[in-house]
Amino acid sequence: MLRFDNVSKRYVTGLDVLAGLSFEVAAGEMVFVTGHSGAGKSTLLKLVGLLERPTRGQVHVDGADLARVRSRGIPYLRRRIGMVFQDHRLLLDRSVFDNVALPLLITGTPRGEIARRVRAALDKVGLLARERAAPQMLSTGEQQRVGIARAIVGKPPLIIADEPTGNLDPQLSVEIMNLFAEFGEVGTTVLVASHDLFLLKRMRKRVLVLDHGRLIDDFRPGEAA
Amino acid sequence: MSARHRSGGEAAATRRPRRPWRELLEAWRDQHFYSFFSSLGRLAARPFTSALTVLVLGLALSLPLFFWLAYDNARAWSGGLREARDVTAFLDPAGDAGAAVALADELRRRDDVAAVLVRSPEQGLAELRQLAGFGAALDVLDGNPLPSVLVVTPRAADPAYDPPLVAELRADPRIDLVQYDAAWRRKLSGILQLGERLVAVVAALLAAATLLVIGNTVRMDIQTRTEEVAVMQLIGASDRFVRRPFLYSGLWYGLLGALCALLVVVAVELALAAPLGRLLGEYAQGAGVRGLGPPLALVVLGAGAALGWIGAFIVVARHLASGRPAR
Repeated sequence: MLRFDNVSKRYVTGLDVLAGLSFEVAAGEMVFVTGHSGAGKSTLLKLVGLLERPTRGQVHVDGADLARVRSRGIPYLRRRIGMVFQDHRLLLDRSVFDNVALPLLITGTPRGEIARRVRAALDKVGLLARERAAPQMLSTGEQQRVGIARAIVGKPPLIIADEPTGNLDPQLSVEIMNLFAEFGEVGTTVLVASHDLFLLKRMRKRVLVLDHGRLIDDFRPGEAA
Repeated sequence: MSARHRSGGEAAATRRPRRPWRELLEAWRDQHFYSFFSSLGRLAARPFTSALTVLVLGLALSLPLFFWLAYDNARAWSGGLREARDVTAFLDPAGDAGAAVALADELRRRDDVAAVLVRSPEQGLAELRQLAGFGAALDVLDGNPLPSVLVVTPRAADPAYDPPLVAELRADPRIDLVQYDAAWRRKLSGILQLGERLVAVVAALLAAATLLVIGNTVRMDIQTRTEEVAVMQLIGASDRFVRRPFLYSGLWYGLLGALCALLVVVAVELALAAPLGRLLGEYAQGAGVRGLGPPLALVVLGAGAALGWIGAFIVVARHLASGRPAR
């Protein structure tokens, strides 16, 4: 589903954020990326969604070599990736329903189907009753769940999340992570960047550990213990 | 290009999925509906700012229209003057009516003369009386001081040169004075040509100003919605999708600006019509003020909308280009 071949990224400032990174993620797998801040977690996710391009090496997503995806093709790649952000990035002037409907509106989904799928996605994150609410009226945890509903509404084969629980308390974090784990069980590949070691141990999923842009460990907590 | 063909990889993830055309058409329509109304909503959400922009555009667009109207009216009024090629010959007042008729017959026999009209001194006097204010003055005179007049119409010739007939008439001892206003008419034509060019230049300058005003307004629109644009792009909105509502905004600004310009012009027309009509009536019977016709109004609306669309397109294209990931 996702393959990195000897990927390096150097920013114009001369800073090497990723160096010789190689790993593979199978379809339906849930993987955490961890490391201290500045280790390259965010950059790794940005390369997957083509927010950045690698300086060297190749990234393959769902069989596609991203180096061969030109600017015009980027939107179509991103439609196959559900992105979840730490600060949820909801549009505050629209209702919960309209926020979740946005990816479907972009792909030109028929209106009847939009309503059906938005409600299904909101139901999955437990916010069906709040569809008319404005994002500001929701709690931080609820806002993040709306962000997740927006990421899954288009049924993407891959979900990437950058510190999705960074602003949440431990209880809510576990809830959100369990939600991601559920998607993995239905065949969606999930890649989550997180520095919350307690949470990683608890989830018992594969963990990639980055340090100064290098992959220094690739393990599953359950096995190690 | 060749890389694209070598790899089937891109096809898997980034090519648009194939869908039946009917569904595509409906999706296209839905997306345009969405942009159409959301762009109008944005204008309505900030009525004061939008109204200011539209007013500025309206005044800018009305200026070339006024120039054009002035030019158009000047052209219409001077039309008869420029067309006339007649040579007016005032005969020596000493000669009698018979001499005038004889000279007229002589001229009619020439090849380069199309027609000759004889106006007796009596006719001239009657005409003068009809003009306002002259009646009382003429009553003071004992006799008729007016000479016989021949109005000679030469056959069509190059309007840039005086026909030889004019020189011959001037040399004729029976003729007191020859009036031929070709030179003056050529100057008038020159002035009108200058006016036409002036209208074009002013229109071009103000079209550029309109483009900039709309571009700048849409740019500020984009700046207040940077986050929205960024989020849309992250979740897979194509450039076209992101661009569309802004293009519609530009279109609305242009269209409303043009409408405002037309209203300004019509208001000014209404305010000036009565006094201007009276003034013109003094000079020429039946000469009215030429206003803005429906075809021109449509052209103005179309031009406004097009300028708005183009201005928005340029600005959005710039913004989109700045957000692409570097290689």
